[in-house]
Amino acid sequence: MKNTSDQNISKIKLSKFLRPLITFLISSFLLYRIYEVVFIRQQFTPDIWVRFAISGLILGGMYALIAIGYTLVYGIMFMINFAHGEVMMLGAFGGYFIFELFNFIPTPTVADPDLTFLNSQPILSIILAFVAGVTIAGLSGYFLEKIAYRPLRKAPRLILLITAIGASTALQNLAMLLFGPTRKNVINPMILERSAGWSVLVSGKPVLITYTGVFSLVLSALLMVALYLVVQKTKLGRSMRAVAQDKNTAALMGVDVDDVISKTFIISGMLAGAAGVMWDIHMGLVNHYTGFLPGIKAFTAAVMGGIGNIPGAMLGGILLGMLEAVGPAALGIDFQLKDVIAFTILILVLIVRPSGILGEKLSEEKL
Amino acid sequence: MKKSLFFVLMIVALLLAACGAPAATEAPAAEAPAAEAPAAEAPAAEVPAGEPEACAAELGCAVIPAGSTIKLGYAGPMTGDYSQFGIDMSNAMKLAVADFGDVEGFKVELVAEDDLASAEGAAAVANKLVTDPTFVAMAGHAFSGATSAAMPIYEKAGVPMLSPSATNPDLTKAGSTVFNRSAFTDAQQADGAAAYLFNTLGVKKLAVMHDGTDYGQGLAKGVEAKYKELGGEVVGELVAVTPGESDYSAPLASVAAAAPEAIYFGGYNAEAAVLVNQMKVAGLEGVKFFSGDGIYGKDFIEKAGANAEGVYSATLVPSASDAITAFNTVYKTSYGEDAGVLSAYTWNSYDSASALIAAIKSVAVVSGDSLYIPRGALVAAVRGLKDFQGIAGVITCQADGECNASGPVFYVVKDGVWVPAE
Repeated sequence: MKNTSDQNISKIKLSKFLRPLITFLISSFLLYRIYEVVFIRQQFTPDIWVRFAISGLILGGMYALIAIGYTLVYGIMFMINFAHGEVMMLGAFGGYFIFELFNFIPTPTVADPDLTFLNSQPILSIILAFVAGVTIAGLSGYFLEKIAYRPLRKAPRLILLITAIGASTALQNLAMLLFGPTRKNVINPMILERSAGWSVLVSGKPVLITYTGVFSLVLSALLMVALYLVVQKTKLGRSMRAVAQDKNTAALMGVDVDDVISKTFIISGMLAGAAGVMWDIHMGLVNHYTGFLPGIKAFTAAVMGGIGNIPGAMLGGILLGMLEAVGPAALGIDFQLKDVIAFTILILVLIVRPSGILGEKLSEEKL
Repeated sequence: MKKSLFFVLMIVALLLAACGAPAATEAPAAEAPAAEAPAAEAPAAEVPAGEPEACAAELGCAVIPAGSTIKLGYAGPMTGDYSQFGIDMSNAMKLAVADFGDVEGFKVELVAEDDLASAEGAAAVANKLVTDPTFVAMAGHAFSGATSAAMPIYEKAGVPMLSPSATNPDLTKAGSTVFNRSAFTDAQQADGAAAYLFNTLGVKKLAVMHDGTDYGQGLAKGVEAKYKELGGEVVGELVAVTPGESDYSAPLASVAAAAPEAIYFGGYNAEAAVLVNQMKVAGLEGVKFFSGDGIYGKDFIEKAGANAEGVYSATLVPSASDAITAFNTVYKTSYGEDAGVLSAYTWNSYDSASALIAAIKSVAVVSGDSLYIPRGALVAAVRGLKDFQGIAGVITCQADGECNASGPVFYVVKDGVWVPAE
């Protein structure tokens, strides 16, 4: 017995020595490669870099919104809700059907006999699409917790994790049966036409900043601020933080733990739903598989930022989006390898800071 | 400690699953042991009485008892983003079976399976089909990647294939005895596309993109090589996109940096539609978009809308003839859709199925009240198809399994429909 513990100690010492070395080697290689591609080869002009950055920011904003859902749930229940991406997909379908419905209601005028409600009342349509998407996703979050997770409240966390994976597959297949397996085009109101936007000159060349992109980014920023205010300033936020710190003590202080958990799932579902409708508006394609990849990416973002930490999830989301868009170009490799870059950076972050960029040291219980 | 290790394993498994795309649902069947293949030979040993001499050969005979049907297989994507191909091709084959599906009084039945256009799905379908002793021939698979995964399984079972659409050149170079195709190869298609871009459209700076699949990457490399050979300039490196995503603005921006006059994309409809939809935002307005047979069809136009205008595709749509007009009428009345709207393989699929049925007829022997189909002879008969008159053209198979002589025809989207490019 003593022998093995000695070996463990020597392993730890080795890793303490290896860790900075590996980090240093990989980082210096990456930095050199970036220097070579960006400054020596000069493959891309500044306007192209701006384009990469814009595309990364928009994607990152959506990742951040979904990542917050992972982090909120982890903070309170210490479980990874892998069905969260599917909640986003259901929200996206909510928005899609509202747009379809409004595009079906004719509101003819003299000037334009083909006008539909979608374009005669575009702002109202967009608001209602968000209301529908957010409501559906919030409700799915609520029922997901109630049906799949609540009966397992006392079970080991591993069982919850596998239940979450099962719930994810079940929701995906349900959506495939209900809505069919092909990708559907989302019809946007005219004012948010996908290829329209402001043209900005960067080093003498025009760069198109799309309305849908700005809209998504601004909205996700607003939602993140709103969430921060809810968590920091309201009574619900205070009880959420209390439950996150210590469930039992919070219960002793009169916090209804079940209620707080339900509300946390509703809030994280609503954020995912909003991200889903943004996905509709900006990407324009939706099917049962829409939520899966963004879900995995957002989980990665949450881990990168420090799981359990809300600003960390936001930072991780934006960072991951940027890495995916700018990374392959900066390293001069194929765009198909963008996930490799994102996950390499994740590993690097975890080597240097095992609790994530903004993650605090986790207590014994949370581990 | 143990728990956390398991947790890490779970995450790794999950990430792997994420890369494997939606095919996971079919995965368990792929585990089916290949040892099931000999099942096809079993009847040869079990039915000694009244068995024709031809069945003594290697691989034995497929025995169709009275009242059973001869199973002709088809596999392609029937669900998902590429489902239009599978639905259209199996529809056309059903018509061929209805027209010719009678071998000495035994009915031919088309078994159309969904291989999800993936290698795993294809292996699962192939393993499942070869366990059926009355399954004799395969008019597929539809996609190149799927075909190359399924080929060894049919090879072992002695099931001849005649794919109407698997175009990757390497498929016939693997030395398979069972694989044949009635489609042109991507090498022919790439040469044709490069020449068309350079000579007919007068494009001098071309950017090449692909989706990283067997088909797409092969096509892209072929076009790049031929285009350079012709004296054109391929700007930048080949840019690959990940299939199934909804945002390709970053790869497109990197293409825009090279300021090409046209983009050649090796890949399929779903990704092509996302690409053309985002070209304007990436600063590629007015740049021509050219692709292979994988984007032709209604789905691309539906997804890309107005952005589809002026997009080129290489297809194997046959030139008009009386036989084709007659077929188109039947197709329209059977399925309510014009032939060739869903995919370009409609006519070729019909021909593949009817050629396979003709090959079955040439080797089948009735003995007692059962029908015997010697598997070895059938494989040879399909490879030996000569001057088979189909509606799209004449099928004559060469020693390597290439059965098509006609080259690609170029189509362009005009006012929301595919029309022949002049």
